[in-house]
Formats: sequence, structure tokens, C-alpha cells
Amino acid sequence: MASGKVVKKAKYKSTVKDPGTPGILILTEEKLVFKPNDPTSSNKLEVDFKFIKSHKHTKEGSNKPPWLNLTHSQGSYIFELETFPDLHVCRELVGIALGKHGEAAKVVSEEQLSAAEMAQRIKLLQEDSKLQKLHKELVASGKLTESEFWATKKQLLDRDENRKSKQQIGFKNSLIFDTKPTSDGRINQVKFQLTPEIKYQIFALKPAVHQAFLNFVPSKMNEVEFWNKYFKAEYLHSTKNAVAAAAEAAEDEDLAVFLKDDEILEIEARKKVRRVDPTLDMEADQGDDYTHLPDHGIFRDGSKEISEAQNSLYRRTLLQDLNRQGAVVLEGKTLDIEMDNPRAAAEVLARRKQDSDAAIEDERRNRISKMNQIEDLQAQNDHRFAPLCIKDPRDYFDSQQANAVKALDDSQAGMEKTKCSLSSEEVYGSLRASISKIKATGLRDPLFSPEVALKVLNELTKNISSTKSHIGKHSQDSVLDILPTTTKEKLLDQWVCSQELLRHFWSSYPITTQNLANKTRRLKDAISQVYSKLEEIKVSAKSDLRHQVSLIVHPMQQALDAALLHYDADIRKRNAKAAKPNGF
Amino acid sequence: MKFQIEDVTVYFPYDNIYPEQYAYMLELKRALDAKGHCLLEMPTGTGKTIALLSLITSYVLSKPHAPLKLLYCTRTVHEMEKTLAELKLLHEYQIRHLGPAAKILALGLSSRKNLCVNPRVLAAENRDSVDAGCRKLTASWVRALAAENPSVRTCEFFEQYERAGSAAVLPPGVYTLQDLRIFGKEKGWCPYYLARHMVQFANVVVYSYQYLLDPKVAGIISKEMQKESVVVFDEAHNIDNVCIEALSVSVRRQTIEGARRNLHRMSQEIDKFKATDAGRLRAEYNRLVEGLALRGDLPATDAWLANPALPDDILKEAVPGNIRRAEHFLQVLRRLVQYLEGRLDTENVEKEGPVAFVTSILNHAGIDQKTLKFCFDRLHSLMMTLEITDTDEFLHIQTICDFATLVGTYARGFSIIIEPFDERMPHIPDPVLQLCCHDASLAIRPVFERFQSVVITSGTLSPIDLYPRLLNFNPVVSRSFTMSLTRDCICPMVLTRGSDQLPVSTKFDMRSDLGVVRNYGRLLLEMASVVPDGIVCFFVSYSYMDGIVNTWNETGILKEIMQHKLVFIETQDVVETTLALDNYRKACDCGRGAIFFSVARGKVAEGIDFDRHYGRLVIMFGVPFQYTLSKILLARLEYLRDTFQIKEGDFLTFDALRQAAQCVGRVIRSKADYGMMIFADKRYSRHDKRSKLPSWILSHLHDAHLNLSTDMALHTAREFLRKMAQPYDKTGGSTGRKTLLSQEDLEKMVEGSLVDSLF
Repeated sequence: MASGKVVKKAKYKSTVKDPGTPGILILTEEKLVFKPNDPTSSNKLEVDFKFIKSHKHTKEGSNKPPWLNLTHSQGSYIFELETFPDLHVCRELVGIALGKHGEAAKVVSEEQLSAAEMAQRIKLLQEDSKLQKLHKELVASGKLTESEFWATKKQLLDRDENRKSKQQIGFKNSLIFDTKPTSDGRINQVKFQLTPEIKYQIFALKPAVHQAFLNFVPSKMNEVEFWNKYFKAEYLHSTKNAVAAAAEAAEDEDLAVFLKDDEILEIEARKKVRRVDPTLDMEADQGDDYTHLPDHGIFRDGSKEISEAQNSLYRRTLLQDLNRQGAVVLEGKTLDIEMDNPRAAAEVLARRKQDSDAAIEDERRNRISKMNQIEDLQAQNDHRFAPLCIKDPRDYFDSQQANAVKALDDSQAGMEKTKCSLSSEEVYGSLRASISKIKATGLRDPLFSPEVALKVLNELTKNISSTKSHIGKHSQDSVLDILPTTTKEKLLDQWVCSQELLRHFWSSYPITTQNLANKTRRLKDAISQVYSKLEEIKVSAKSDLRHQVSLIVHPMQQALDAALLHYDADIRKRNAKAAKPNGF
Repeated sequence: MKFQIEDVTVYFPYDNIYPEQYAYMLELKRALDAKGHCLLEMPTGTGKTIALLSLITSYVLSKPHAPLKLLYCTRTVHEMEKTLAELKLLHEYQIRHLGPAAKILALGLSSRKNLCVNPRVLAAENRDSVDAGCRKLTASWVRALAAENPSVRTCEFFEQYERAGSAAVLPPGVYTLQDLRIFGKEKGWCPYYLARHMVQFANVVVYSYQYLLDPKVAGIISKEMQKESVVVFDEAHNIDNVCIEALSVSVRRQTIEGARRNLHRMSQEIDKFKATDAGRLRAEYNRLVEGLALRGDLPATDAWLANPALPDDILKEAVPGNIRRAEHFLQVLRRLVQYLEGRLDTENVEKEGPVAFVTSILNHAGIDQKTLKFCFDRLHSLMMTLEITDTDEFLHIQTICDFATLVGTYARGFSIIIEPFDERMPHIPDPVLQLCCHDASLAIRPVFERFQSVVITSGTLSPIDLYPRLLNFNPVVSRSFTMSLTRDCICPMVLTRGSDQLPVSTKFDMRSDLGVVRNYGRLLLEMASVVPDGIVCFFVSYSYMDGIVNTWNETGILKEIMQHKLVFIETQDVVETTLALDNYRKACDCGRGAIFFSVARGKVAEGIDFDRHYGRLVIMFGVPFQYTLSKILLARLEYLRDTFQIKEGDFLTFDALRQAAQCVGRVIRSKADYGMMIFADKRYSRHDKRSKLPSWILSHLHDAHLNLSTDMALHTAREFLRKMAQPYDKTGGSTGRKTLLSQEDLEKMVEGSLVDSLF
């Protein structure tokens, strides 16, 4: 790896179970630095590679996320990267770094470059000779690194590989009591259409129902009976008659399960409220103001609401349902749920409940300080990301036009500069002067001299006519076809190559890291090489074709020119900036 | 950054400062110099808290010979945490620049529930049981018992704290509640008592309003604060209500029944003591004869709520003879409870002044005013004597005694209102006897008298001249600051018509109109499809919100809304609301987008910020007027009219609009932030209502936005959001007026004394 620096998004985990702190992992050959996204987080890391003993990583095919595990004397740092390609880049560098730091870094890696991916790449190269050529041209000559090359070819790689892991489908944000019954209108009976999806939704929203399902089905009742009971309970709820619900519940203990408040939810809520953001924690207020003592403060002044205390056990409100709905949607859905079998779905749900409660306090503490800083009062720190600027398209084109005009002005550098700010008197004066001049001399009959006009016309039409004459009747025929095959091949190759280079070049702006700066430098060199090669082709072409070739080469060169210009301008700008004392 | 305000060097933890923060500090500094009270209104989102903290701490640092203490009062625990976190930042900065000389001790104080680290006590559900659980382990007699009998449980944290004695101190630093708990756990000391103890020595104390305003609490917590203190009431727009609540008590059927049970149990206890330990009762009697100070010599753990009346209202005299004996006192209480029960049993609403009420107690129950006044202290003493630890069981009799003491102490500013049922639910009999305070100045008066400077500040104190009248004080500085915006980052709109061009309002005769409900629903739906991230909606009351959400659900609008964003709702259950808020934030964070339904005057409207992407739009559905048929409100309005010459209508509008402004003001937190505010009610377009909004909102309310319908509002929203999403020059340099000052700018400005020209 030539660049010697890798910057990737990663999550740092102190243990395997740790959910991880999201941040940026910066690897150089000397050390690894981890900066959490949240600048207040304590999980900053800066470790020299000489303390790292070995490294491991997870295999691509396995169902584990891409983890990079760096072992040191006391334990290990685990970084969860976003994708496996990221992991490979990091792993590559870590390998180099460890190698450098002597002790023949033992690579305990299960495989070098996940065999599957390697095979994939080789296969792609074999299948596509052009790609292979390009690969040879760019990678072999060191213009691009292997990983950089493949980075832009991701969709090629992903096409086959990621077909199986499609995007995770979220939980539908529609209320379950949308499941309206159908009735045939003749008999006193309603029918509910239950899909596995709805069943899953009910289980997720109502852990008590889910629990009951696990307990009752199939030992106590069958599934149909279970759902009958459930919808009967739902009906009782919808009547909003808490007394009737209470009475029914007293009679039928199975039914009571559905009617009562969800205990599981309550327990969960109490657990969750402990780890809620302290700036939101209204629960903490309860009891901090002593006026909440019963009968203290103003009891009935109209601003406070009256709630009916009776039978509150059997009253579940729409509002609670909505909150629950939102919470469940946010939690999302586990991937591999077999919707077809409700029993299985129920069990899967039961399994996923057991998540760790660790590090709650830390999380809370971190969250509070995050909320606190007034961002625009702080000095702008070095942005690793250029701000996104979405311009009004009109503005953009206007400014482009202005630029063009400016460029025109620059080209007429010899002309004297006009004074731009004129007072109205001056304008009026000059207008009067010119009018009087016209009055005196009269308008010149032809505004432009005919020679000039002819010259311009010739210049403009020359190319058209010559091309036409060569191509003849076949407008579909490309100019390329009239070129000798060798030149054509060469041109096409250069074209592909320059496109690839340009793509890499522009995608590396804005330059936010040293790594990118290095890359652009390399690319610039490569681009200037291509440029000179194009020039060569142009010169070497036969004289009758030279014009055609230059026409083809011209836009390519223009594009390369633009890149080179941009590079120079950017370098200048950056240097100027760096000279500033405050650093931005 | 570091700069000079007159003779004070201010250390400010950021590199830039808003000009209004500078002006705010200047005014504050003048008030401190004058040793007087001040009233400062500055829009939300301009960094009031940090300006205030850095000025006051810097002021103290620059005048080391006259140390000032800062008592910072917040309304809620999470605001307390936020303030402390900000102070921590400031403190770190000051230490970096001044070295150890800048070290201060700052801590937050809350109830046992939020500070306790004893897992056995914490297992209790609510605050009262935590308090009682703590008392059961730490009361002096329990500990005395434990000394003899090792099987009696005590709290190891408290014991260790006691053993450490005077060595148990907090080293200088800034402690949030969390830090206190961690420190306590580490050292094995009880954080609650440690904090209570350290409050006297701390340079900065952050706690809840009640700790200063409610005489019951202030009597214990705040009695030893020095006069040279600066008291800050942050977010103080509701301070009058807090004051009034602190001195109001109501008695219901449940209270009477509970009090009966309490009395029964106490008489049993007395009998038991008579049989076993008669000396103790006699000792108490003697103490009362001598009129010993009741709490002065008691250990801290035995203290409980203090007298509900103000300290200087209690004469320094002995408890009257007729209630010195325990059984006599119980007899008096029984008669009082009997009398109150009789009064509760009424068909009509009754309203009485305290004087008339006391006279009628004397006539019917034979209890004179002086006896009433001492009820609370006598009860307190008795419960100490009887060694009652489960104080949460005795809340009802405490309520009765609070009531008696208040009614015996105050002859004016209160009224007693007996209602047989709630106006809105006449079919449910629920009689209640309410002693309600009308005069906010009563509770806050001792604060103004005791402390050198009291700062009342908030984002909404308009009209600013009303507060000195309501609270009855003379501020030396009273100013309202506008906001200098770099760009028009707030966009208030008044929406008067729905998509069908019919007027919308929550006026009583219109609020249940299906057309209005639909129009409100369509408004939200359309907005949800345009506005990114979070939307907050405020309704005028819980019942209205409940009704409208149900109707939306039935008509299918809710379903459509839910296709755009997740919906979360504030309910009366605090735990559920907290979780809903947490989920709301998560949904906004992850980009899913969410809508939060909340209630004006509710807990969320009071203290939760919906800044940045947590709130890009606030919709205030309707004008949040108080329930005007409430007897208590009417009595208060009458009192305000007679005493302060404030017209009823004016006060109601003032009150409704400050709530509305409070709701919408939560959307913006800094100048980099942006948000829209929609006032969805045709009544907002009227000048008399609108003009009561704070000036920082009014100045951005364009004439073109005063009478919008849904489609026009939608168009405005689109334009606004697109404009705001652009990068911009933060210093506002291009517009000529600087809206963000660096240190250089400030120095230049001070030289040219341009400060006043900025505003």
C-alpha cells in the first residue's frame, strides 16, 4: 500500500458484546487513531503499532460483521467496519505496519484476501478483457492501488455477491387495528383475515399476547381459538366500556390476559427509562418538586386534566397504542424471520429480547454533554467534510455565465479596463455624447467589415464541411471508423483509461485527508502522462486524418485539462489557506 | 475567549459570542453591581444559560474579597443536569486559563430518589417510598437502636458518611447528579446527605424552584444560605404559578379518610408510649413549654418537610397550651377533620375568605386561629416523638395540618373554594375543598428580601412590565433583548384557514366541528410530507388532543400521516412520555422522521427542547387559554383586578400567549438552527392577541404570513426549508451587522463603544 494511510468509518468495541462507538478509524504505518463521531466520548484511541501484537479479522462468508481485531498485551481492540472491502483495506495496511514494526507480525488471519472475493475479482478480470487491460494499465503501473481500482467497480463485485442480502425491510407503520373484519352480512359473524405479517405485528406490539401464545398454543387451545379470544378482547376494547371489559375478564381468565395492561411492557418501560437521555428524563422530576404531594398545589384549576381512576386496568388508549407502534417500528425487524409459522415467529421474538443492559450509565453520561454545546459559537474545527452546498440551478447557470464572460474578458487582456462604477450623470453624459456623435457622423453602413465576417464564417463552417466530406452519406458512421485500426484502438484505450482516471480524480475531491491528497497527486501524474500520450497520437496521425484525430482528442484533452487546472487551483488555494494563521 | 466588561474579565468558553449575549452580560453585571434584582428576557436559542453562568462566575473571580454564591434554580431535573453540564464546560475552560485559582465547587441537589445509591431503598417505586425507605434506615432512633442491636438494618452509605464526619467533603469541581452518585458510590458515602451538607459551602448550587420558593422545602434546604447570593430563576415565565402552587392545598374525601386513619394510628401509638415510655411524652411536653426551636437541634436525617407558611410569619413563641399534650392535640385535629368533612358535604360551590373561614372554624369546632397556625409544627414534633418513620403513610394528616397552618397564618391573598364536583363532569361527585393562593408575591417575597440579587430570566417574559407587578418587586434592571439573526432562521406563520378556506379555531363553539378537525389533520398531513425530520404539535389540552387524535384515526387521516412519519404522543403517564420522547429523538436521529403530539402547559412544553432536527416545525393548534370557568381562576382574576388593577381579559390573553410562545420557542437553540412555527387559529391574526407574543417572534412575523391558508403555508414552508438548507456566512458579515463576534470584534467594539448601537 503506497499511501500509508487509511481512513474508514468504524465502530470501536472494547469487547465483543459491546455495541460499539461509531467513529473514524485512521490507520497509518506508525499508529492507529480512533476518533469517535461524538467528540466527547471517552473512547478515543491512539496506539502505536509497536504495541499491537497481532491481528485477526472475520471471514467474509461468515455471518459475523466485518471485524478487525488487534491484539495488544492487555487485550484487544475490535473495530467493526462498514463493509468487507473496507476491512480488507485496513487489514492490508495493518499487515504492512506490523511487518514494519518487526517481530514478524504473526498474521493469524483466517485467509489473506477473502478467497471468495479474490476469485470474484479474478473471474471478473478474466471475463472482461477490457477490464483486465485497464487493470493492467492502471494498477500494474502503480497509478492506482488495487483497492482503489476496485472501489469504483463495486457494483460489479456486488452484483452477484450481495444479491442474497437485500435491504432489510422495516416494520410497517400502520396500526394493527386496521385489520378490519369482513362480514358476509347474512349471519351474525365476522371474519378476520390474518396474514403472517399481521400476526408478527401483533406479537411485536403486544408482548403479553405473544407470551400467551407461547404458553397456550398448542397445549391449551389451538391457534384459531387463540385468535378468536384475542379479537373478542379487542372488540371489548373498542367498545371503550371499561366496566364490561372488567366483567368479562373476571369471568374468563384467558381473556383477561388480553384485556389487562401489558406487564411485560411495563417492566421493559421501567428498564428503558433508566437509560433514557437525562435531558429528557421527566421521570426524574417526579418527586423532585415537593408540590406533587397529594393534595398540595392547585387541584382543580382547569389547566390540569381529570383522569378517571376506576378500571384504569382495563383501559388502554389509542395514544398508548400509537406510542407503542412507533417504538416497535423504530426497533425494526429481525432479518431472518420465517413469517409462515407463527410459532416460529413467536420464538424468534422471544430470543431477541435478551439484549445486554451493560454500559447504560456511560451511554447516559455521553448523551447529556452532546446536547449541550452551542455549535456555532465554537471555532470551526478542521472539517474533514466539505459542507454540502445545494445551489439553486438558476444561480448556478448565472454564475457559470458570469465565469464565461470573465474568461472572455481575460482573453482580451490587452484591452483597457473599463471603469465599472459610473454615476448616473456620467452615464447620461456618455449616452448623450454617443448620440450626438451618431448624429454628426451617421451610422456606419455595414457594422462590420465584410472581410471580418467572412473570416468568422469560414472558421465556423470549416470543420463541418470537412467532416461531412469524409463521412459522406452515412451520418451514423463515426469518425473513428475512418481511422486506421491501430490508432482507433489506441484512442479507445486512452479514452477508457482517461475516463477511469478522471473518475477517480474527481471523486477524491474535496480533499479532506492526506490520503486523498496523495492519491490526487498520483492521479495528476498519470493524467499528464495520458495527456502527453494523446498528444503523441495526435502528432503521429497521418496528415489527412490529423484534423479528425485532433477533433476526437480535443474533448478528451479538455477534460484532462480541466482536471489539471483544478488540481493546480486547488493546490494553490490550499497553500494559501495553510498560510493563514487560524488554519481555515 | 476572554474579554472585559467594565472592570470584570469575563471567561467565556466559546471562541465566538453573540452580541446579545454580550449585552445580556452587561445588564446583568450592572444589576450585580447595584446589588439589586433584575428581569431579563432573551429569546431562546441565544445561549442565556452560558452567558449567565460565565458572567456570574467571572464576576466572583474578579472580586475575591466579596465571594458571591450562585443559587441557580431550574424547573426540572433535566434542566438542572443541562445547566451543570454547561457549567462543567465553563469551569474546565476557566481552570485552563486561570489555573487552580478558578476552582469552584458546584453541585446539583435533588430529592433522595434521584441521588440515592442504596439499592435496597432504590427498589421502591416512587419518591415518597424512597424517602420513607431512607428514613427507615437513617432516622436517629433507628440508628440508636442499631447500635445496640446489630440485626437492625441501617444504610451503609449513610453510616460511612457519618463516620467520615467532617472529612466527608466534596473536592472542588462541578458535580451533576450523576457525578454525585458516582462519587458517593466510590467513597461509600451517601450522596444525598453529602450534597445536602455541601450546599452550604458550594459556590454554585443548582436546584429546583421549590427548594427556594416552597416554604416547606426551603425551610430545610435553603435556610442557611448567605445573603450575598445571586439567585437565578431560569425559564421563569411561569414563576407566578409555581409560587401560587407552593402555598395552595386542597382537601378531598380521600384526604379526610386518610387523615382519620392516621389519627387513629397515632392515638394507638400514644397509648403504647404511655404504657411503655411515658417519660418521652412528658419530655416533649416540657420542650414545647419552653418553646424550644423545633428543628434546630434535630439531626439532619430526622428533618422532613418544614412549615408550609413562611418563616417570618411564624412568631417566635411557644406552642399554645391547649395542644401541648399529645392527646389534646389529637383531639383538636379530630375536630378539625370533622369540621372539614362537614364543609365538604355541600351541594353548591362555596367561596370564602380565610378570615371568615377561621371564624367559622372557631364557632363550629372551637379551634382558634393561633392553634391552627401551630398545627403543623405540633404535628411534626409529635411524629418525631412517636418515632414514626413511614412518613409516606402520614401524608394525609400532614395535608390537613398544612392547610390549618396556612389558613391560620394568612388573612389575605387566599380564598377557600369548595366545589361539590368538577364543572366538566357534573355527574361524578368529587367534592374538594381548596385553599388557593392568589398572590404570587407571598411565596417569593422572602427570596427577594433575603438575597442580594435575584435574576428572573426567560425566553418569554412579555409583557415585561407585568412581572414586577405580579411578583411585587422593584427590579433595578428590566430589559427585553431581541435576537440579531444572521438569516431569518425562524419563520412564524399564522394559519387562519384550512385547505377548504374555512376558518380554523379551537374556540369552544368550533373545536368539535368536524371540518375544523379535518382541516387541522390535513394541515399536519401536508406539512409532514414537506418538512424533514421532527415535527412537534401542541394542543390546548389533553382531552382535546385525545379527541382529535381519535377522530383522525377514525377518518383515516392518522393512517396517512403515519405513512410519512412515526407518531409519538405525550400522555399523562410520565414514564411513557419519557420513553415516547426518547423514541422520538431516535426516529429523528436515524432519519425516519417523527411527529410528537404534546400539550401546552404540559410537562413536555415546559422543559423539553426540540432544537435542530428534533423540531423543524412546531404547530400550535389553537390558543391555549386556561379553563375560564374554573372557580379558582375566577377568584384569582378577581384578586388580580382588585389588588393589581390587571384586567381579566388582559391576564388571560397574556397567560395563553406566554404558553403559546413557550411552546413554539422550544424549536430553536442557536442561530445555526432553524425552524418554523405555525399558529393555527384564526384568533392569532387579531392584533390584541398577536401583540402579546414576545418581540423576537413578532419581528419575524411578516404581514404576508398573518392570514394564511394551508396551501399558502405549505408553499411558504417549502421555500423556507430550501433557503435554510443552504450554507451561509455565520458571522453575518455581509449584512453589515455582525451577529457573531470574535474576540477581536469585541475589543474593537468596546473601544468604539458601539455596544448600544448594536441594538
